[in-house]
Amino acid sequence: MNFQRTASRILSVNGVPIAIALVIVVIIFQIMSPVFLTPGSVRDYINNAIPILLLTVGVAIVIVAGGIDLSVGTVAGLSAGTTMWTLVNGAPTLVAVLTGVGTGLVFGLFNGLMITRFGINDFIVTLATLNIAGGLLIVLTEQVPLQGVTTPGFSDIVYGNVFGIPSAFWIAAIIFVLMQFFLVKTVFGRRIFAIGIAPSAANVAGVNVERVRLGTFVLSGVLAGAAGVLLASRLGSVQAFLGSGYEFIAIAGAVLGGVSLAGGRGSVWAAVAGGLMLATLQQGLRLNGVDPVYFSIVTGLCIVAGVVFDRRIQQLALSGIRKRRRTGSAPPPPDTSQEAHLLRTGKQD
Amino acid sequence: MTQHPTPNGDGFLLNAEGVSKHYEGVTALDGVGLHVRPAEIHALLGGNGAGKSTLINILSGLTTPDAGTITFEDQPLELQRPSDALARGINTIHQELSLVPALTTLDNIFLGREVNSRFLGLKVKLDRRHMEERVRTLAAEFGLSQEDLRLPVGEFGALKKRVVEIVKALAFDTRLLILDEPTSGLEEEERLNLFEHMRRLREKGVSLIWVTHHLEELYGLADTATVFRDGRRVGTVGVADTTVDDLLGLMFGIAAGEFGATTNPPALSETDDETGDEVLRLNNVNRSFVLRDISLTVRKGEILGISGLAGAGRTELARAIMGIDKISSGTVHLKGKQVRFRDSSTAYQKGLAMLPEDRKQLGILPELSVAENISISSLDQVSQFGFVLKNKDETNQAETYRRRLGIKTSDVKEKIRNLSGGNQQKAIVARCLNTNPDLLIFDEPTQGIDVSAKVEVHNLIREFTAKGGAAIVIASELAELLELSHRVVVMKKGRLVGSVDNIPHALLSGQFEAVKNRILAISAGRTES
Repeated sequence: MNFQRTASRILSVNGVPIAIALVIVVIIFQIMSPVFLTPGSVRDYINNAIPILLLTVGVAIVIVAGGIDLSVGTVAGLSAGTTMWTLVNGAPTLVAVLTGVGTGLVFGLFNGLMITRFGINDFIVTLATLNIAGGLLIVLTEQVPLQGVTTPGFSDIVYGNVFGIPSAFWIAAIIFVLMQFFLVKTVFGRRIFAIGIAPSAANVAGVNVERVRLGTFVLSGVLAGAAGVLLASRLGSVQAFLGSGYEFIAIAGAVLGGVSLAGGRGSVWAAVAGGLMLATLQQGLRLNGVDPVYFSIVTGLCIVAGVVFDRRIQQLALSGIRKRRRTGSAPPPPDTSQEAHLLRTGKQD
Repeated sequence: MTQHPTPNGDGFLLNAEGVSKHYEGVTALDGVGLHVRPAEIHALLGGNGAGKSTLINILSGLTTPDAGTITFEDQPLELQRPSDALARGINTIHQELSLVPALTTLDNIFLGREVNSRFLGLKVKLDRRHMEERVRTLAAEFGLSQEDLRLPVGEFGALKKRVVEIVKALAFDTRLLILDEPTSGLEEEERLNLFEHMRRLREKGVSLIWVTHHLEELYGLADTATVFRDGRRVGTVGVADTTVDDLLGLMFGIAAGEFGATTNPPALSETDDETGDEVLRLNNVNRSFVLRDISLTVRKGEILGISGLAGAGRTELARAIMGIDKISSGTVHLKGKQVRFRDSSTAYQKGLAMLPEDRKQLGILPELSVAENISISSLDQVSQFGFVLKNKDETNQAETYRRRLGIKTSDVKEKIRNLSGGNQQKAIVARCLNTNPDLLIFDEPTQGIDVSAKVEVHNLIREFTAKGGAAIVIASELAELLELSHRVVVMKKGRLVGSVDNIPHALLSGQFEAVKNRILAISAGRTES
């Protein structure tokens, strides 16, 4: 009984079902191909996934606030481009990093201001900046070949080694911890949830909805900039169209992790778990000799299956809690809305 | 006012008996009856939440009753969906227009009931000519030309849209037409025009159920009026032999004797109008279309009541004061200093707070806990450097309010949506109080909560002003307003149309009648103040 209670409670936490599913998937792939969990393999595929995981976290924060950011993919690509361009022109690593992150910041600020000051729909604004950033990268790559950089220390951003673990892992881990802390332990994070749950109620309660929204887009932009720097460091060269399409992997990862597109529900861990799930699936398929042509089909199916699985598990967990409340000593609160809400968000996602 | 004889089922077009409807524990309708004669205009009256909309939703097939019997043309009426109602000849024109703006009048009229030309037994395309022929005469009768039929409805004004809805209803066999506040959004002349249309409908033998808040409209038009209050039917009267005062009395249910027992407790702080410090002053505040030349003051320790019928602009005034809606002209002074709030967060910082009217939509943040709902307006109190949250402080703060206000919950970390309405409301009151405001606006503070919670919320408001706060209370229930307020101002159509100053703390029943009648008379538009 007690075990059941704890299990239900844990499963109802956002992101836990997908984390469990992730472990199961890893075990299955390990059985199918024993090279799956070798250090080299794990390092490679996670290293590849890290930039997109950063985008996933940024997008997740925007989504929790009830918005959407489609521009993160091409903004990350452009940030990689500006980082490289700075290096090609002989600037030191630090300046290049700041340029890359700054590029993301500018786009985030632009998105946020257009959405809050001019009241334009976020989907439209970020669709526009998706194209602008993508176009700028094409222009940039046509003018200067963005490669052949030997600036000391730049490739160490990703490939450096700290305590035997690649530095990109550390950078990502620190960013994830900071973002999770920001989201659940700060005043601003609380307001993000408030405006995601009910923007007009938050407004009446004195939350400056516009400012908080602006903040989420800036944050998402900065994370896209950081992702761009990591991309540039890992690839060593930047081509046109880098990053385009990443936004959908990022959004899919966040949703797969249980971040509700309706807003007000989700966490950084959940988004990271969802993003890792997608990356793991691709790696597993690759190692098992599946033609990469089929990757996006399988990924798409897995997103559907994963989201359904996540909602089912949570529903089961919640019905468990409900049942106990009815039989237990605690006063039974009117709980009908819980199920309705779950069904609703389940459908909307 | 004469009560109609008990209906025996004969001679009535619509016969509803004992209709009840509950929503999640809230009783929206409690065994009401409604009897509509053929070819009669039957007004349905009541304050907010009286149950009018619920009954209309039942009659139009949007929802099903929990109990009760309804017969229509002597046949039982059991509607599962709106199309069932249409099939029986019951048409409803809702307050929000249900026309598709981009479609033409003709396409709107036949929406969902299109006539198709056939080819080899297959529906091929819309037969517009056939459809037009079918409604041309009817449309002309209501002043719609052939050209109008071909124009998109979006280009028409409010009246013409209503007329299109009426024609839409009459194009198909309609014996009962339900009009939910049909005059809202219409200019004076358009109203009169619409009334003409309504009379014409009655002549054609159609019965109308007419929901309105404007009682003066009834005279010379409605035959019968049924009044609802708190989900019950409190009377059915012939309009010709009833006064506006009688109707208002029924709607808001104030019996002088009942009131004499619950007068203001003498524990209230004494407020002298001359010496009390001014907290808020509005000078000629306007907001396009909703507020006109509002000037008022609220003093320290004072409770200012705002009365008025639905749609008079009370909530709009509260929102304008809070900076949620923009003021187009006029000035707001807070403690003698002119202020202009661009948004609600500035208003909160300057010492204002508001308890909104619609608790479910604008009050609670359902997915957050009780503690988080209390702290949201004053997060700097439970955080370090206004940045990092101190969850322990937040929980302790909520615990303090839980004990002080008697919020019933097993745990302040429980999600607020799991609490009852009254306890949710107390948590929102706690949220407002926790900002230590100079002025607190309560918009319908006791709507949808039970009697004991009502009393507790009243005491919280009094306690707040007794400690030197100023309060504005908006309430539809006059008894509540008079019991709480030191002063009442009356709003109508966005204007302040009257006031009652110096309401005695202990109203004698005779005094109460006088005050009540004065407010009701002003609200109903017979200005004599």
